[in-house]
Amino acid sequence: MKGYHDIAGDGGSRILDQIAEQRTRVADGLAGVRHLVAVGSGKGGVGKSTLTIALAERLRARGHRVAILDADFNGPSQARMAGVQHAVFVPGREKAALPRTPTGIGVFSMGSVIPESEALDFESAARGESHTWRATREFALLGEILGAFEWGSLDLLIIDLPPGADRTVQYADFFGVRASFVLVTIPSQVARGVVARSVAALSSRPNRLLGYVENMSGYYCRDCNAVKPLFAADASAGFGIPCLGNVPFDPDLARTCDFGLLATALRDSAASDAIDAIARRLLDELNEDQP
Amino acid sequence: MKFLCVPCDSPMKLETVDPDRGSLSVVYSCPECGYEIAMLTNAYETQMVQSLGVKIGPAGAPAESAGKCPFGAMIPAAGTAAAPASADPAVVRWTMEAEARLANIPEFVRPMARTGIERFARERGVVEIDETILDAAREFFGM
Repeated sequence: MKGYHDIAGDGGSRILDQIAEQRTRVADGLAGVRHLVAVGSGKGGVGKSTLTIALAERLRARGHRVAILDADFNGPSQARMAGVQHAVFVPGREKAALPRTPTGIGVFSMGSVIPESEALDFESAARGESHTWRATREFALLGEILGAFEWGSLDLLIIDLPPGADRTVQYADFFGVRASFVLVTIPSQVARGVVARSVAALSSRPNRLLGYVENMSGYYCRDCNAVKPLFAADASAGFGIPCLGNVPFDPDLARTCDFGLLATALRDSAASDAIDAIARRLLDELNEDQP
Repeated sequence: MKFLCVPCDSPMKLETVDPDRGSLSVVYSCPECGYEIAMLTNAYETQMVQSLGVKIGPAGAPAESAGKCPFGAMIPAAGTAAAPASADPAVVRWTMEAEARLANIPEFVRPMARTGIERFARERGVVEIDETILDAAREFFGM
């Protein structure tokens, strides 16, 4: 009797061919992107999204072609931070044009599609059982987005990841070896413990770990023009990967993120200086020359 | 998943797919002896296939499982290929070429695209959206 591998095809639906075609569409869509940099952590609330848009702004200011993919479909924040909540999606010749910020950063965020008063939901034959299929559906949607928008010719596509060490690794598997990772932590043992798990999980993959950023590394007081401690003194060792920099918490930066005004906030502060240094370090790690 | 007619030792061919309340009735037949079987999926199995974003059915058959807008339940205008603009006093028409371009973009952003582009056109006193207007909108809004 014939076995599975003795039979070519599946009798009609070509499921494996369809999966291969999906992957080809994703690869074609990203063919013009030089560097895929995923910003993750594992821990939520450490400032992944803030660092993502801030890095994109600094890189754009240096003349690089940059876009952001907000891969956190369930808690998208880039639309608000980048000021593209009410973006108009325009059909191009074959694909949809990517909304852009006033400074020229392309941004796809589910926050441009779904109002903040609603949660992402899918039609389902198995409603109430989303734990059995939802992650698969979200990655299929990610593939659809990557294949359907014009990412064009980019120096960097920065991917803002959702929290979860497991999710971080799933994105490594989805994007494959060409995606490099930057992990974000804060100076707390709880956060560092979760980030250490993400480092361990990613270490089993071929993806490059560019380094980590310690966010909320002190508190920037504009009145004193000084950085003061925000967390208890932390003498923890690193994660065995490069430290790309430390960013102090800046209330003004946080406030302007809420209003999509980051570009104007990124001036003359300890936080902006730190992010600029991280952008330079990131370019060095990627061996990316100035344009 | 593949199906084998054991008596003939021959791969079976997919014939029809009928959706029914969260289940798929997938009929296969043996090209040698003509014997037919039906695979009836439960809701979990149906949803797993849908989640992969693939279509179940013979080549060329209309897609039942994968073509639906993922946000159909939450975006009222989603899934309507040509949402009427008649509610607005300044009705804007779309040429066939412009409609074809709109159909190229993901279904879940089409209603927003239509609304935004019609507003863009009205603000410029344009009553017909053609490819020139789409190119202008793309230049204005897109990357």
